[in-house]
Amino acid sequence: MPENRLKVDARGIACPGPITELVKAYRNAKNGDIIEVMATDPGFKPDVEAWIKRTGNQLLELREEGGTYVAVIKVTAKK
Amino acid sequence: MKKRVVVIGGGAGGAILANNLPLEDFEVTVVDRSPYHYYWPWLLYVAFRGSRRPMRREIESLLKPGINFIQSGAQSVDLNNRKVVLEGGKTLDYDYLVIATGSRPTYGQIGGHEKAVEKYGDYHSTVENAERVWKSINSLKQGTFAVVVGGDPYRCPPSPLEGLFLAEEFFRSRGLRDRVRVVFAVPYPRPYPAEPMNEVVEPLLKERGVEYITFFTLDRIEDDRKVAVSMEGEELKYDALVVIPPHVGTDVKISPEDVLTTDRFIQADKYTNNIKGFDDAFVIGDASAVPVAKTGVTAHLQAEVVAKRLQGEDARNNGRTNCPFDLGYGLGTFVISDYRNPVVKLPPSRFSHMAKMLFAATYWDMVRYPELWNPIFEAYFDATEPAKLARIYV
Repeated sequence: MPENRLKVDARGIACPGPITELVKAYRNAKNGDIIEVMATDPGFKPDVEAWIKRTGNQLLELREEGGTYVAVIKVTAKK
Repeated sequence: MKKRVVVIGGGAGGAILANNLPLEDFEVTVVDRSPYHYYWPWLLYVAFRGSRRPMRREIESLLKPGINFIQSGAQSVDLNNRKVVLEGGKTLDYDYLVIATGSRPTYGQIGGHEKAVEKYGDYHSTVENAERVWKSINSLKQGTFAVVVGGDPYRCPPSPLEGLFLAEEFFRSRGLRDRVRVVFAVPYPRPYPAEPMNEVVEPLLKERGVEYITFFTLDRIEDDRKVAVSMEGEELKYDALVVIPPHVGTDVKISPEDVLTTDRFIQADKYTNNIKGFDDAFVIGDASAVPVAKTGVTAHLQAEVVAKRLQGEDARNNGRTNCPFDLGYGLGTFVISDYRNPVVKLPPSRFSHMAKMLFAATYWDMVRYPELWNPIFEAYFDATEPAKLARIYV
């Protein structure tokens, strides 16, 4: 099956938090898919790092561009 | 000539919007599949307190005289040709359209979900399912009671923890707390996804001996083995459980289809609620994909903004949330934030709990008489601006 690239725009979300948008995309993803999340909430960076560490998915890139965090994640840990 | 406004949905957003429009200038038609408007937050008290208080009213009784109400589902919306086709085939033409169809739980994303709801109930769907939760917690005399957040989005961000707190209080009040383990599982890094509010609630969970599992993305429920299984294969054992169901958006067919997200929420401008690409069509409340919490207060504030915009005023949303949060034992807080300010760390208080109950008591009056309640809410929202509160509650 071809891999998908899922884009998630969570900019401006403070409540309940951009991590909820990542989880939503993760639910619909399959191993091999790429999820790209954009967020402005400063809590997003440590959250996404903790999420990667705990779930075992792969963080390809985490960068900041003018107040926006962009995380590029490869889904690998689904059983 | 009066402008014709069609409002699809007679819930909090639709009814408040309709009641805020001056009928000298607008011919307002509200359509809804159901004859009833539900006060959904009350499902919590049906589920965990056994409340029998009626939580619905007839939509027609909540609309001002002069507003047309048609009890019918909308089948399709053609945004380019300004037409709404109702189930049964009747067509409504409009000058302005407001979609306020809310969100609804979906049970197809998690394996075994439907069977689990039939058995244990939930409190995001129907009164009947909430009554099942009440039966389920009443028959559990020992073992593990679990609340699992099944996926995003869902109505009312505080609701999973509210259910958990009330369940914990319930088992304690029955003298069963040493025999019933209360467990909470979420896909997030912490019990409440927004960090400042988590700093308020996490100490309460610890104080009350509630266990919690983070980063738990629910894949399936295997009820024959009584386990909930995560996407990475982690297992959570239970004796009774409540899953917070992920929600999806509108079931109305909308053209053009590209205004919809994959889970059928409608994309819109977060300041004006204009549906993407249309200056004469709006979406308010849970049905929209704008980045705010799915909660009645959002629908209410967006309804006021859209009502003002239809009257030619350049009103804009500031993204304000104000979610009442029952913490059990007569305590409460509010989740308050806006587009520019993060969630306030508002400490638990009896006053906040009282405010939540007071709001529930006045809800119907508030929907029906915006001319009386708007100034009161304005004063409240002004006094509780997140930027102001953040200076007090650091």
